[in-house]
Parts: sequence; structure tokens; C-alpha cells
Amino acid sequence: MGQRGRAVLQSNASQQESSGTSQDALKHNRKHNICMVSDFFYPNMGGVESHIYLLSQCLIEKGHKVVIVTHSYGKRKGVRYLTNGLKVYYLPLQVMYNQSTVTTCFHSLPLLRCVLVRERITVVHAHSSFSALAHDSLFHAKTMGLNTVFTDHSLFGFADISSVLTNKLLTITLCDTNHIVCVSYTSKENTVLRAALNPEIVSVIPNAVESTDFTPDPSQRRDDRITIVVISRLVYRKGIDLLGGIIPELCLKHPDLNFLIGGEGPKRLVLEEVREKYQLHDRVRLLGALEHKDVRNVLVQGHIFLNTSLTEAFCMAIVEGASCGLQVVSTCVGGIPEVLPEDLITLCEPNVRSLCAGLEKVIARQRSGAVPTPASIHARVKNLYTWRNVAERTEKVYDRVVGEEVLPLHMRIQRLRSHCGPVAGSIFAFVAVLDFLFLLLLQWLVPDQIMDLAVDASGPFGMWNQESGIKKRTSSQKS
Amino acid sequence: MGPDSAPDPPVPWRKVLWERQPFPDNYVDGRFLEELRRNEGLRQYHYWAVVKEAGSVGQQLSCVAIFITVWLYMEQGLLSPEVLLLTSLVCAMLGYGLHQVLASTVDSGDEPRTRLADLQSAAIFLSFTYGFSPVLKTLTESVSTDTVYAMSAVMLLAHLIFFPYTQPSPPGSLSLNAALFASVCLASRLPGALHTFAMLSCALLVFALWPCLLQRLREKAPSQFTGVCVGMCIGGIGGLGSQSLVGAVLLALALGNVTFFCPLLLITLQRQKDNIQGPWDEAEIHEDLSHFIQ
Amino acid sequence: MVLKIFYPQCCNLANSGLLIGSWIQGHNSAVVLAVVHYPFIPGQVKRYIQQVSTASGVKLSVLGSWSLPSEAEKGVENFLRDLRTIFPQDRWLQISRKMGQTGFNCSILDRSQGTILFVHYDQRNVMLSQLHPIQTEELDPSDSELRQVFQIVSLSQPLFLLDRYDDGPLKSTHWQSGGQEASIIVELLKMASVPLCLTISCLLHLLPLNFLCSKLSTCVQLSYRSDHLRALSSPKTAVGHSEFMRKANVLVSILVDMALGFLLMYWLYSDNHISMLANALVPAADHVAKELEELLQWLMGAPAGLKMNRALDEVLGRFFLYHIHLWISYIHLMSPFVETILWYGGLSAGLGLSFALALLSDMVALLTFHIYCFYVYGARLYCLKIYGLSSLWRLFRGKKWNVLRQRVDSCSYDLDQLFIGTLLFTILLFLFPTTALYYLVFTLLRLLVVVLQGILHLTVDLINSLPLFAVALRLTRFYRLAEGVKFSVLCDEPDTPLHLLMEINPLSCASVIKTYRTPTYSCYPKDSWTNLVKKLFVGELIYPWKHKTIKTD
Repeated sequence: MGQRGRAVLQSNASQQESSGTSQDALKHNRKHNICMVSDFFYPNMGGVESHIYLLSQCLIEKGHKVVIVTHSYGKRKGVRYLTNGLKVYYLPLQVMYNQSTVTTCFHSLPLLRCVLVRERITVVHAHSSFSALAHDSLFHAKTMGLNTVFTDHSLFGFADISSVLTNKLLTITLCDTNHIVCVSYTSKENTVLRAALNPEIVSVIPNAVESTDFTPDPSQRRDDRITIVVISRLVYRKGIDLLGGIIPELCLKHPDLNFLIGGEGPKRLVLEEVREKYQLHDRVRLLGALEHKDVRNVLVQGHIFLNTSLTEAFCMAIVEGASCGLQVVSTCVGGIPEVLPEDLITLCEPNVRSLCAGLEKVIARQRSGAVPTPASIHARVKNLYTWRNVAERTEKVYDRVVGEEVLPLHMRIQRLRSHCGPVAGSIFAFVAVLDFLFLLLLQWLVPDQIMDLAVDASGPFGMWNQESGIKKRTSSQKS
Repeated sequence: MGPDSAPDPPVPWRKVLWERQPFPDNYVDGRFLEELRRNEGLRQYHYWAVVKEAGSVGQQLSCVAIFITVWLYMEQGLLSPEVLLLTSLVCAMLGYGLHQVLASTVDSGDEPRTRLADLQSAAIFLSFTYGFSPVLKTLTESVSTDTVYAMSAVMLLAHLIFFPYTQPSPPGSLSLNAALFASVCLASRLPGALHTFAMLSCALLVFALWPCLLQRLREKAPSQFTGVCVGMCIGGIGGLGSQSLVGAVLLALALGNVTFFCPLLLITLQRQKDNIQGPWDEAEIHEDLSHFIQ
Repeated sequence: MVLKIFYPQCCNLANSGLLIGSWIQGHNSAVVLAVVHYPFIPGQVKRYIQQVSTASGVKLSVLGSWSLPSEAEKGVENFLRDLRTIFPQDRWLQISRKMGQTGFNCSILDRSQGTILFVHYDQRNVMLSQLHPIQTEELDPSDSELRQVFQIVSLSQPLFLLDRYDDGPLKSTHWQSGGQEASIIVELLKMASVPLCLTISCLLHLLPLNFLCSKLSTCVQLSYRSDHLRALSSPKTAVGHSEFMRKANVLVSILVDMALGFLLMYWLYSDNHISMLANALVPAADHVAKELEELLQWLMGAPAGLKMNRALDEVLGRFFLYHIHLWISYIHLMSPFVETILWYGGLSAGLGLSFALALLSDMVALLTFHIYCFYVYGARLYCLKIYGLSSLWRLFRGKKWNVLRQRVDSCSYDLDQLFIGTLLFTILLFLFPTTALYYLVFTLLRLLVVVLQGILHLTVDLINSLPLFAVALRLTRFYRLAEGVKFSVLCDEPDTPLHLLMEINPLSCASVIKTYRTPTYSCYPKDSWTNLVKKLFVGELIYPWKHKTIKTD
């Protein structure tokens, strides 16, 4: 339990003390064993997935040990290794809906305990409030006496019944989580309200964009026409209905306007119907689902990037668009106004008239040539959001978190009951006690001491590093 | 940049991510949650207005009660099918006339149905009902009476629940179908084929045509609408009272509950409402975008 | 690195000489195939190896020398070393046996000494066996080591044939074959089979067997049998192991089938069994009809206390009763001819048991035709009701099925549409239990018949597809079909390399059947059980024993 986690820390600390560094430097050089948990990971594709992957890579680069835990995807079960020894556990858990696993609060404990003990994890970092596995792991990690961090990637309303339930669940799982990371200030406000948190333990660390993957290339543009690029999943939340209204309005006014739309989804039908009704087959191209590597090649063909989302915690797409040197027009919802400086983005209300007005303004500017060159836009955007920066800031969160004390069981029960309301609080206090008893049973069946320790692939004693180090050494000898 | 690292610097904090600000990541500014709004666009109700709206619910309840009363009379043989048919015919003619009068005063935008179409519909109703009435008569013979009653009760309840009270014309498919199903079940318990026919015609009148007329009335003459509602309620209670006193008392209680108590409850609970809005809410599309694709 | 030497057991006591064999490509191992004895003329050895290499396609070479400890001469050592200059090689193995030792010693010249491992194998067994799963016969360096060993040994048959009559210029030791694994009779039969095959295939081409009537299982069986015969009688000899096995299997199964058929015929035509059968058949059919009639009477009442719609119940019951009446008259009309039909039908057993069974299945189908008819009527009626109810249920909820988009859309119906729809829905709903009960009863009857026919079909299928030859081969010559090998330690003495004995692991019987069964329609994918139940529930007609392309409904 808690003692184990601390014991590892102490051993870590003693090693570093023996190397003769001061206490302060030690705090900064401390290496963590981090376990990222989420239902969403490769081969599933999306924002959360790439966030976890890229953040983990940067943390490994900084010398931390990172393992990822997710559920199995089809035949992909067991342990896989990714670049730089990033170890991924695909746990055999049943998927319920939308890649989220079934949760019973208990059945994932044996597997998670196994992973956490074997890998000597010090910090559990869960991602996405849609992921049941993330909630489970936060709960179990607290039972096992580990420190936890949670990153929230999405915004939620308060009005409908499903969000009321999800918010209650979030309140319970985050009530003793040490630190929460949000991707924008709006997201922070949202999360603080939803989970009734102290805003002091919520940090804002924006997402990042691999700007080297999104470089401008004006030669790909057609100069005799103006092309508007839209890249998003074609679903209601992304405002595709608005797009269906914008296309005919603008196409009728500007005969030299083209639309290039990448993405797939149920709302594709709307766009196809619009295209058919107004005979715009040569001007509106629907590219279907795009692979991540193809996104840049589509972006550089356009002059204007349009985002019509109805809600967005942190819009990576507009950063990617700006990084490719496009003029960005977007709806002003969620965290979008915080993302880009005013002169790089044109913000509109989420309705057809306002979006059309905004687009027309940008089109006029584009015609008159009063826009900065793609290269200059890229130069401004490229250093705004980098994964290295994200990793540095996340590392500080970890540094803060490992110093904190994990609440013992009776304190935890008190906190649950005082924080989450009398009914839900009592129920989950009971669940916490059961979870603890279950853990005791597991520890009696297979004590922590006799569990095999996993081979470190990444981290300070990672085999991967040593191997590559040997390779480097031999190559340098050769040269 | 990390949490808890720097003291307050002189520059003001801005809510932007693209600028590296000299504040820790977990910094909480005074402007935190300043965009939070509560109970935006909350509607304030007035008691009597709500009572008036609830009247249409009470009216529909009374309609069901009247239908059941008619059925009870028929089953006990107190009402002969010829009389019922004749009354229905007269009512239908009167109602149709009133409908036409109300339609002619202000012409609505939709193309009006021709008399021929109305006649055609009426012919279809009558011929099908008449043709099927022997079949319907034998349909539930082997099913026990309790089952039929239970089924009818469930279906009438479904009719009341799914009735489109805000837009009763044309009546919603599910509610109308449920009511018709219930009336077929009940009608098949009656002694003869003509009884069945008369009962179904009556059901058509009460459940299909009456809501259309009432809707017209509500649009064109709102003052009369209230009167009609009150009249229907009294008629329902009175009719049921002539057969069963307990039923009448229960109906009166239900009507009082729906029209007077429920609005009171709504208005009291409205004060407790606490709704949070902010920039994180999903934007709603208010405009009608369907014209772009149709 | 461990050097593995595959050594034939028969050469253990060979006289001293040269080792002939092959290096295995891509692996650090060698296969010894034979030992050429002293004295020999090097030129002849070279020419001999050249010949065998071109004949077999295996790259043979002189691997080294072999010496028995018979006369311990001093000069032998040097002589053996000198041999290497005559046959230039990368690696030169020098294997020798010492007095008082069971193991051999081996030294490799001009190479850094590695560990040496001897694997002894039975040359005859390895040569004749086929390693499974079957792959191409060509030598492929990417194959596994074991597979290459098997291939090299079996491809090097010419090596053993060249000195068959013991009068060649060279003397060698290897598995001394006294002819192939058969006798002169087999050879003669092979010769004789060619004209026979030619005549059969000519006959088959003449016969108009393209009239494939898929409904009668006898015809299906006929077409299968003719296909088999056609394959069997093709005048070309079988190329490759699997084609040979297929032909042999088909031949054996035809022979067994015909033998069983003749047994059946013997039984039928002795003791007047045919007329006994014919006399029993008509009363049996009558009895079935009586039982059905009683069942219908029961259904027309209040079966199992269920309350059905009286009017519809009566209509349906009378309809079916009339049908049974028709059926009984038909049976009685047929009864004088039954014996003759059976007598001629019995002759079909001469073509094989499978034909008799297929004919029986067809006769069962014909005799239970009334049950089939009932089932079809019941199913059609039920199906109609189900479809009507499902679409009217959508109307009831104010929805409709959009055919173009394949989904349920909401739709605002007219008042008269709603009224008539609800009326029909109510009627159908209350009549549904009656139809469903009739359907249920007749489906159960139908399933009974289907199960009976299914068993017959399964038996026929078994006769057609069971690889009898392969099974017999597995039982009598287990080494012919190998699944792998197992090793056991032969001797492990301190100064000699490790000696292992390689034995062939025979293929398990289950996989013999799986690999060699003749493909018939039972091998094609059929409806899954859930699919079948779904079809039954919806009221679609089922033909479970037919395979998909044959089904024409």
C-alpha cells in the first residue's frame, strides 16, 4: 500500500543522495514511475490518444519511466512496446460503449494492482472523464496508497441527466485526487464546477501541436481560387449543420470559392445533400476520413481554415491550421478564444450569419493581399505549444504530487462523505471499504513481496536506454 | 510556470493560453468564473395562465371519461346503437359546420382540404368500420374480459400520456392509435355488430375529430376555449356520476389535481431552480437549417 | 555454433569410404545420404555425383570421409586428409569410429572447432514419409531445417536407384532398396489401369450428366460420383503427394461403398424382404395421416387450454383436413405399385450404399410431402402476419421504414391511414396466436423429417468424404504421414559428441481425416444455429441440409 510507494521513493532518494546532490536539486532531478491510464489509446485514433502518446514520449526523454494501461483492442492484448521502450498494457476488459469499459468498481483491481506493483509506479495519471478505466484506476490507486493526477480533455454541460450522473461520478473519483490538469482556462472553470474542486489543485496545461509536422507550403495552393479547408469529424458537436448552411451562402456569392472537407461521420449526409442540391460537386470536395499523416497535405492546399465546433475544450485543429499558414476562422465557443492571439484568428458567433460575415471579411483581406505570409504565421505559431513545454509543466505537477500524503482509509471515508453528499458519499465510502478489503484479500493471496518486478524499459534504469546507449557508444567508437 | 512557484508579479493576468504568463499553472485569478451565469432565460409563470393551459389536459381526461360513459351505457343496453349513431351524425355535422366557419374567418397559409377529400375520408371511415365490424365483434371472443379491460385501460392511459397537448391537430400517431386500439377492444365486448360500428364511430369522433375542432377553436376564439374546457369537464364528471359515483369523485379529484394543484407545484418549484451556464456550454443552433437541404 | 550431422542408421557399420550428402542451405548442418566404399576412382565418383545431382535437383557433394576401426593403419590418417585435395570442399568432415566406443568422433578440418551433434535417422522411413502440413515439393532455403532434411532425403531417390543391380563401378552403403515399397503386382496394375481409365473417361464424356437436378439427393449423389470418377480416370498420373492421396481415397471409398451396396442388395433380395417392406410402408403412411388428422382435430379445439380465434381456427383446420384427405387417397392410389418401385429402387444399391441411402432420402421426402406442404402454408401465413404486424407496429408508433436509407424514419400519417392501419393492426394482433400455433406445430413436424433426412445425408456424406486410404495408410504404415519428429538420446559418452535418434511422429488420426477428406457440400459454410433460429422465428422457409448455391428458392 502507501508504505510501498513511499519505500520506492526513499530508495530512489537514497540513491541520489549517495551521488552527493543537495536536497533542492534532488527535488528537481527526481525521476518518477508514471502510469498513464485511459480507455483511449492506439489503435483508436483521436486527441486523447495522441496526447497520451506524445506526452509519454517527452517524459521518457526526460528520464522518467512511463507505462500506459488501456483495455484490449480486438486481438491486441497483453504487453506491447512502442518507440523508446514505452510499454503499453492492453488489459482484457470488456468494452461497453464507445470504447469505454464496463465498470463494477472492483473487477479491474487485481489487474491494475498487478501492473502498479510490478512496475513500481509512484504516480497514476488518468486521462479523459469519458473513460471508465481512468475512474477505476484513480479509485484503486487511492486504495493502494498512490498519488494520482487526472487530465480532463472535454467540456460538459450541467443541464441534462447524463451530465448530472457523469458529474457526480467525477466528483467522487476526483475528491481525493491530488492534482487535476485541464487543457484550457474554460476547461478548468468547467471541471472545478463539475467536480466541486478547490481551484488551487487544478493546473492549466494546454495541449501541444507537433509544429514540425505542420509546415506551410504555399506552392500547393491554387492562386486563381480561394480554398476553405475544414478538417473535423462530421458530427453534430462539430457544427456540421452550420457548415451545411455556410457552403451554399458563400458559394453563390463567390464563384471562385472552393471547399475542401476532410473527415467522416454521420453528418456527411447533410453535406452531400447540400452539394447535390446546389450542384457544387466541382467546388465542394469531401475527402472522407484522413490519416494523421495526410492532414498536413490537405491543409496546405487551402487559404482559410474553418472550424465550426459547437463546443471545444482546446481546439488543436485551429493551431494546426495556423501552423500551416492558413487564416483561421472559428466559432467562439469553449476554450477557443484562449488558443490563438486575436490577429491570427477571426472569431464568430455559432450561427450561419456571423460565420459567413467572418469568412467574407477574411476572403476580402485575402483578395486584397492584406494577410501575413504563411511563413510568418508559422513562425509565430510554431513555438506556442510544444510537447516539451507540456512535459516540463506536467513534470512539475508530478513533483508536487509525490510530496503529498495519501489519506489513510478513515480520512478518505470522511472526505468522501463530507465532499460528495450524504447519499452518494456514503455509498462510495462503503465501496471504498470493500475495495480496501478486496485489496487485503489480494495481498494475502499474492503478497507484494513475491510479485515479480517488471523489467524497466524506460526510466533511469531502462533497458532500452542502456541498449541504445551501448549502440551510441559503439557507433561513436567506429567513427 | 509550475504550480506554486512565483509570487504575484505586477502584470495583470489574462485568460489566454498562447502567452507565457508569469503565473503558476494553478494560479487562480480574481476573475475566475466571472463568466458564470445562473438561470439565464428563466421563464416566470403566472398561476392562472398555467391553469388555463392545464385546462386542455383536463379536457382530454374528460373526453376519455365521456367515451367510457357512453360505452357503459351501450353495454348495459341503456343506449341503443341507432340513437348513438344518429347523435354522432348530428354532432359530426355540427362540428364540421363549426370547423368550416372557423376556417373561413381567417384563412391560414396551408392549402385547405377540399370538401371532396373530406367526403372521401368519411366514406373510407364508415365503409371500413362497417365492413370490419363483424370481424371485430368476434375478435376478442376467446380472450377473457379482464384481459380486455386491462388492455383498454393501459391503452387509454398511453393515449393520455402521449397526447400532443401543445399541438393536438393532427393528433399524434401513437396516442390516436392507442385510443383506437382501446376502443376496438371495448367495442368487441358489445352484444352486436351494429353496436361495434356505432362505438367505433363514436371513438373516431371523440379521439380523432374533436381535438382538430378544439385546436381550431383555441386558435380562433381563445375565450370560448376556456368555456368549452370547463363544459367538457363538467360533462365528464356528470356523465360518469350517472353511472358510478366513485368514478365521478375520482375524476373530479384528478381534474382538480391536474388543473389547480400541478400548476401551483410548478410555480413553487420554479423558485428552487438553479441552472449554471457558461462558455463551456455546447452552443445551440437556433436557426432552421433544413431549408438548405430541402 | 553447433554443427548438426544427420546420419543414416544403416551406415553405422559401413566400410570406410567417402561420405556423400548435402549441406543444408541457411543452416549449419549436413545430411549424410550414403557412404561410397574404397576402392573407387575419384573421376567416377565425381561423375556419379554430377548425374545424381541433375536427376534429383539436390546439390550433392562429398562431405568427408568415414573410417571404421577395423585395421588401425598409421597411413590412413594422412590418406584421409589427402582425399580432401581430390574433392575440394569448404568443410571436410572426418568421422571415425574407435574400438570400444559406441559413439563416433568427428573432426572438421580447417574450421574453428564447434560442438558437433549427430542425429541418426532411419533413411527408409524418412524417404517415404510426407511431412505435414504439406507444402511445395521444391527445395526452398527459407523452409525450416527439418523440412529441408525430409525433402533432401526424399528427393535423393535416384542415388539409390543407380546401383540397384549391384553392378555399378561404385559400391556404397545406404538403405538398400529391394524395389519400391510394393510388388510386381502393383506395377502390373499400374500398367493395366491406363487403358481402363481412358475407357471410363470416354464413357463419362459421352454420358449427358450435366442435367443436374438439385432437388433430388439421388441426382446430387450421381453428380458427385461422376465427378469423382472423372477425377479418378484422368489418364495423367497424379503429380504430387496430395493429388495422389486424393485419387487413392476416392478409389477406396468407391470400392467400399460398392461392397456395402452389394451386401445390402444381398439382404434385400433374399428372403423376400422387399415385399415385407412394401406391405409395411402403406399402413405406416396411413397411420401417419391418421395421427395428423387427430392432431388437427386437437388444434381445432382449445389446444393446451390456449384461447384461439374460433373462426380462423376452424377455417385453417378444415383446410388442412381436406389436404390430408387428398393425401390418403393418393397413397391408396399408389399402393399397388409400391412393391415394384421398391424392387427397382433396390437395384440402385448396386451402384453403392450411398445411392441406396440417397434414394431412401428422396423417398422419405416424397412420402412426407403433405407435411412439407403444411409447413409451407403455415410458414407463408405466419411470415405474412409477422411482416404485416411489424410494419403496422411502426405505423402505430407513427414511424415508417425508409427503404432508401435502410432505417426507420418518423412520418406524419393522415387520419384515415392511421385509422385503417390501427384497425388492421388490432385484427392481426388478435389473430396472430392462432396462426403462430399452427406454424409452430407444423414446423416441429417438419423439423422431425428434416432431422431424419439430415441423418441420411450425413451418412452419405461420410461415405463420400471419409479418406479411407489415408486412414489405412496411417494405421499400417505410420511413418508415411509424419507430423514432426521426436528425438531421444542414443548415447552420451564423455569423449564423443552427443548422438540423438530421430524418430518420426505420426500424424494424429483426427488430422489425417481433416487433411485428406474429400471436399463435399458439407464442407461449405452453412447457416449458423442462431441464423436458423432467427429464420424459424421470422417464418422463412428453411432447407438446412442444402448448401447455399444449390438452394434456388
